[in-house]
Amino acid sequence: MDEMERERREMDKELRSAGDRPDRSLRITRRTFLHKSVLAGAAGAATYGWFPLINTLDFALGAQPAFKFAWISDNHLYPKDVNTRFVDKATRAAKEVQAMNPPADFLIHGGDLAQLGDPVELDLGNEILKEVKIRKVFIPGEHDWYLDLGKKWTRLFGQPNWTFDHKGVRFVGLDTVSRAPDYWTVKKMTHKERMGHMATLDGSVAGPWAGVGRDQLEWLNRTLSNWPKDRPVVVFSHNPLYEYYPPWNFWVRDWREVQEVLRPYTNVTNIHGHVHQVLYNEIGKMRSIGMLATSWPWPYAPEGVPALTKCMVRVDPGDPFDGVGWSRLTLTAAEKAENEYVMWRKDVLGETPWDSGCADNVNQILHPRIADREWPYPGASK
Amino acid sequence: MTITRYALIAAGASLGLLVLMTSRALAHKEKHTPEQLKAFEEVFMEQVKIGDLLFHGDEATQKNLGVQLSRTGMACAMCHPFASDIHPHEFPKFQEQIGKFATLRDMINWCIEKASEGVTIDSDSDAMKALEAYMYWSNRGSKLDPGRH
Repeated sequence: MDEMERERREMDKELRSAGDRPDRSLRITRRTFLHKSVLAGAAGAATYGWFPLINTLDFALGAQPAFKFAWISDNHLYPKDVNTRFVDKATRAAKEVQAMNPPADFLIHGGDLAQLGDPVELDLGNEILKEVKIRKVFIPGEHDWYLDLGKKWTRLFGQPNWTFDHKGVRFVGLDTVSRAPDYWTVKKMTHKERMGHMATLDGSVAGPWAGVGRDQLEWLNRTLSNWPKDRPVVVFSHNPLYEYYPPWNFWVRDWREVQEVLRPYTNVTNIHGHVHQVLYNEIGKMRSIGMLATSWPWPYAPEGVPALTKCMVRVDPGDPFDGVGWSRLTLTAAEKAENEYVMWRKDVLGETPWDSGCADNVNQILHPRIADREWPYPGASK
Repeated sequence: MTITRYALIAAGASLGLLVLMTSRALAHKEKHTPEQLKAFEEVFMEQVKIGDLLFHGDEATQKNLGVQLSRTGMACAMCHPFASDIHPHEFPKFQEQIGKFATLRDMINWCIEKASEGVTIDSDSDAMKALEAYMYWSNRGSKLDPGRH
């Protein structure tokens, strides 16, 4: 058992008492069973796990009316004259969200609207999202933030963390990107250089930048303190709130503390971006769902893919619209919520080893880079 | 007359072979020194670093080598962090999107052209060799499994 696996098990033991599961919501419902039956046949259903295409969760809404919301993130827009593909895909997602019928109650944008934090990129993203006329809420990604430390982003979209209650659910937006340890001052980096290192997923210079921070943890604790422990909480974050693969910041560095704060609440769903892939995990009583990007899909990390994840398909690299998309979440009056990945292709999840984004990657041993370790650190995104 | 001609050709060929042999370094004739081994490794790692920089879209390195791997801001590493999901050790193979039996170099050029919208590079160029070096180095230890889809 490697170190990461050992820590995970220890943490799980610490947080979850015997027989504990994230409330009753993850039972397989008739709808998902039917869906699975169609895809895999009755015999295959049992091996499917409980993360089918339509992911049915119970938000215990009680008598509250039904509503939907939508998630878009990770558009990574360059200026329009540099890259039109990313613009086309972000626009398509925005148009589809606006076309939802019945309409969504709100759109959550999960960060990385821009690629290099350029005001031109952020303005372009803001312009594209004007297509969506419903309420919009925003959390930042690291690509939005590190050119000017969030000045332009906050001017456009406001506070990076917030909370509101909506039809019986407490929604919380977390800022998991703005508290990077300062690696730039002592090296006298330009703003562009700082941004470049943040924008290089497999670079080592920016270090473990993803975190919630002591101050925000206290804020989260206060924010939830007047909310009944068994009522639904949905936490939006750019990064996953657990440890998946730290070298790519597929985590927040203080995820253990986050779990401590959330621990008393029995119905917590974390919806996150950054990973550009289908993901599902449970830590203690919290469940996490990873969202698609509109820009490009990341491959699954070489280790740490949660065992509960049903992996997405291998993607066609020749089709810019493949392996990407957005998410439609429906909370029904029958106390159910469905997360539907809107990926622009027929099959979202890989059924066989040769079609699965995880199983295809079993025969690879990977090593961290070398060229980014030498000052003045060449090789960052420009 | 004929005999003389053949003798001359043979002599010429021997001379040519002699020139060829003396003009190129010999291998494994002497025991290797640690310095030699280090020098060999340095040559390789230098290429790995250049490949890493190209792979991550470094403009200066592209300019030095006269290549433009993307015109849209993309870099190889944006879809392949740590050179993942490339499987250099599974080439050559039938490559679906190219529609033929292909080498890693064929696929690198396919990616440059289609995914990154850049300018394809010569298959034997320094840039190609450096990219290849980086990909293999990053995936070292992976099982050789040519032909796997």
